[in-house]
Amino acid sequence: MLRFIVRRLLVTIPTILIVITITWGLIKLAPGNFYSGEKRLPPAIEKAIREKYGLDKPWYQQYGKTLWGIIRHGDFGTSLRYEGQSVNAIIRRSLPVSAAIGILAYLLALIGGITAGSIAALKQNSRWDYMSMTLAMLGISVPNFVLGPILVLVFSLSLYWLPPSRWGGFPSRNLILPVITLSAIYMAYIARLARAGMLEVLRSDYIRTARAKGLSEKDVLIKHALRGGLMPVVSYTGPALAFLLTGTVVVERIFALPGLGNYFIQASLNRDEPLIIGIVAFIAITLLLMNLLVDIAYAYLDPRVRYH
Amino acid sequence: MSKQKQIGMLFLLASIAFAALSCSVAANKEPFFGKTVPPERNIFRYVTGDEPESLDPAISNGQPEARIYMALYDGLVEYDAKTLEPRPALAERWQGNNDSSEFKFFLRHNGRFSNGDPIDARDFVYSFRRALAKETASRNAYLAYYIKYAQAFNEQRVFVRDPQTGQFLIAKDFDDQTPPEPLAGTPLEPFKEEYPAAADQAGVGHYANEHNTEFHKQMHTPLRLTLPGDAKARNKALDANPKLKAAVEGKELVPVKAEDIGIEAIDEYTLRISLVQAAPFFTGLLAHQVFRVVPRNVVEKYGSQWTQPQNIVTSGPFKVKTWRPYDKLVVERDPMNWDVASVKLDEIHFYPMSDNPTIMNLYKVGEIDAVLNHTVPNAWLEVVRTKQDYMDGPEAAINYLLINTLHPPMNDVRVRKAFNYAIDKPAWSKWRKVTKPLTAFTPEGIFPGYPQPKGDQFNPEEGRRLLGEAGYPVIQKPDGSFSCPKFPVDQVEFIYNTQESTKAMAEFMQAQWKQNLGITVTLRNMEWRTFLNVRSRMEYKGFARGAWGADYMDPFTFLSLFYTGGENGTGWLDPKYVTMLDDANRMLDPKKRYELLAQAEKYLIDAQPMIPIDTAAVNFVKKPYVKGMYPNAGSLYPWKYVYIERDPSKWDYGTPSMTAD
Repeated sequence: MLRFIVRRLLVTIPTILIVITITWGLIKLAPGNFYSGEKRLPPAIEKAIREKYGLDKPWYQQYGKTLWGIIRHGDFGTSLRYEGQSVNAIIRRSLPVSAAIGILAYLLALIGGITAGSIAALKQNSRWDYMSMTLAMLGISVPNFVLGPILVLVFSLSLYWLPPSRWGGFPSRNLILPVITLSAIYMAYIARLARAGMLEVLRSDYIRTARAKGLSEKDVLIKHALRGGLMPVVSYTGPALAFLLTGTVVVERIFALPGLGNYFIQASLNRDEPLIIGIVAFIAITLLLMNLLVDIAYAYLDPRVRYH
Repeated sequence: MSKQKQIGMLFLLASIAFAALSCSVAANKEPFFGKTVPPERNIFRYVTGDEPESLDPAISNGQPEARIYMALYDGLVEYDAKTLEPRPALAERWQGNNDSSEFKFFLRHNGRFSNGDPIDARDFVYSFRRALAKETASRNAYLAYYIKYAQAFNEQRVFVRDPQTGQFLIAKDFDDQTPPEPLAGTPLEPFKEEYPAAADQAGVGHYANEHNTEFHKQMHTPLRLTLPGDAKARNKALDANPKLKAAVEGKELVPVKAEDIGIEAIDEYTLRISLVQAAPFFTGLLAHQVFRVVPRNVVEKYGSQWTQPQNIVTSGPFKVKTWRPYDKLVVERDPMNWDVASVKLDEIHFYPMSDNPTIMNLYKVGEIDAVLNHTVPNAWLEVVRTKQDYMDGPEAAINYLLINTLHPPMNDVRVRKAFNYAIDKPAWSKWRKVTKPLTAFTPEGIFPGYPQPKGDQFNPEEGRRLLGEAGYPVIQKPDGSFSCPKFPVDQVEFIYNTQESTKAMAEFMQAQWKQNLGITVTLRNMEWRTFLNVRSRMEYKGFARGAWGADYMDPFTFLSLFYTGGENGTGWLDPKYVTMLDDANRMLDPKKRYELLAQAEKYLIDAQPMIPIDTAAVNFVKKPYVKGMYPNAGSLYPWKYVYIERDPSKWDYGTPSMTAD
């Protein structure tokens, strides 16, 4: 097992370096620069800016400097757009915001999805089933950039119940709408997965056996059915968690949250090279680690994986 | 839950949604847009735009930052809340010489940084030099180029000195184009002709010879020749001018230093600035962020980290309390400020946001007290403009189209004019609801007393005639529509940055040209930075969207866009136009100067390297209880005068009066 993990970790390092290199190359290919504005700068000022940030150096020196900083110190450098702010500090500051929203949305999606899915499965073809599956269908098909504003319109602008946007710290009422918006699609998926899984399991022999030996319906469900029925959910939630943790561009934008996703959009629009590289690398690392965790979980559940 | 209950539940949900929607419709009858409950504390919550690039006033050239800098830093002068004219700030009063090429500023003695250190003339000398230093790489440095040798220092140029005599080569000996010296560049005798003998603003007489230092005498010598500091560029310049090359031979090159710039602390509280040209608008320019004062010891101690919340020291009416990027910048009243008695708010909370609907939502629910200019989406205007918290006024900004004048067919002025004639600008402004159609290049109704020239009005027949004259006859088809088969449509396109409002403009222009000239111009949209890159390198054919807002309140801030060739994005540069502007700026009588500037503007619009579209409009919303904040033409607010009025009878119902107090 340890060898498996170490091997996987070793593969991660070149992957990250490739991701950084490709990102760096793409930024260099993108037209425009971080300092341009409506009025073109006098050439001398443009030159001074390029020298100040080392953009006048040959590409291999710039690339080498970027890479060396990352390898040697784990330092992604200083933002070009935000004078004097280090990329590492920006990530440190914005990660908790994204993570807070992400984890809450994740928990909500799990609890809501599994509950709705299980109820739907238990009362198959009832109104409950139809209602939860209709909602799930809606949740999957309504994109979050539509759902978010609708929730804001109803609960903030008309009923004045909840703040429409901004970060209010943790915990705060500001979290409610973004978390719901973010979790909707995941909740819907989980509900459908849970329903399908549960339906399959409920028809299986061992459930019949459990019922036959006189277990209460509660025990049958919780001790036997859920465990088997939720296997598809588990394999779905690993990557989902990675996406939720590393910032969700649209939701952070709609609700003006100072998370990684918001920084990422702005960094790309601003051609803020070190910040883009820093965030991309961070997301890549998180994704790889999450996948590794899922693989470890699989290996734990299914010994065959370990020997491949 | 029974079947009935389920259905009941569904109905309940549906009715909540319905009620919510009808609420927002019913809200139309309300006098204000959303809640009008003042904040509990004496604070003002504002969205000034996107996340500030830096809290260092020398760095950013953005307007969102400019408003933050106005809270954090004082300058020699401050913008008037309504007119944006320069008002005394750290300079109690000032005096210009007879041709506005030299100014003396008399600083107040109680200026202090937020750490209690006194602010004196040397701090300004430092701040100006720092803004111009190459290491600072300030994007605003060009605004200080009016100061003698500022540009040469910023560009790291060199003087040329004769090692034997110690004499410097003089610019005008090698360049016929060099304009005559202003008074600040001529020998000081006799003094009386340079400075007015009459009293200055405050009623105190001051003469130039009172403070006649060595440095001042130095300034009052003819402009020295400077050459590029970079050997390659220098050799190129020398090769182009054999006379110059011969003169430079055997001479020594002396780098232009910060100490050469025409700014001098005559004594602790007197500052003198010598300019390279007459610039009557110069004091107005000094309210700009790049001229605001920063603390030398803190900047030098912390380098680029000096603006971090734990290090920052400021000079304005407010100082940094907390700063959480992308979330909130809180500034609080600075008890050290010289004018703390005038500061009415305890705190200002700046929320960095850029998504307009999100900002408006926050405003509607009463979590912010005002929003920045242009935040009301066009589709919302119909409702929002009827409200009494909607602010509306002319803006010192224009929208226009740049034309790449270097390539056919747009290198023909007749073709450019035809395209201008074919745009029904009043119709466009009617659709935009808030802007005013523009035929000239300076915004309309912004500069009092400026005799703005009139350009060509909408006249499609004339447009078609001109196109025909240029060799592209426009044919009317039997169905009444036009076509222009000979016109090379593949050589003309319209580029714009991806954004709802610019897209609408592009589509409108396209439709106008199709309808009135029978020419279909291809539209091409690009992401903002890509667009800027393509436009500034002139990698476009035909038209590009452009916009410009005033750096300072003078027509020259617009007219100077075409003062240099490489930077205006159209490729048009006419020495005659440059001379006309120079002549105007040398004019001592402001009225005569405006007349000459207007003539230059007329010359520019006749050459048509661009098509003016409209004068933009200031339009935003602020809660009625926010007082002392006026929709001025530059959207710059001296924050110390802003306050929260809790008595509804004293609120602003509608746009407050903009006539000066």
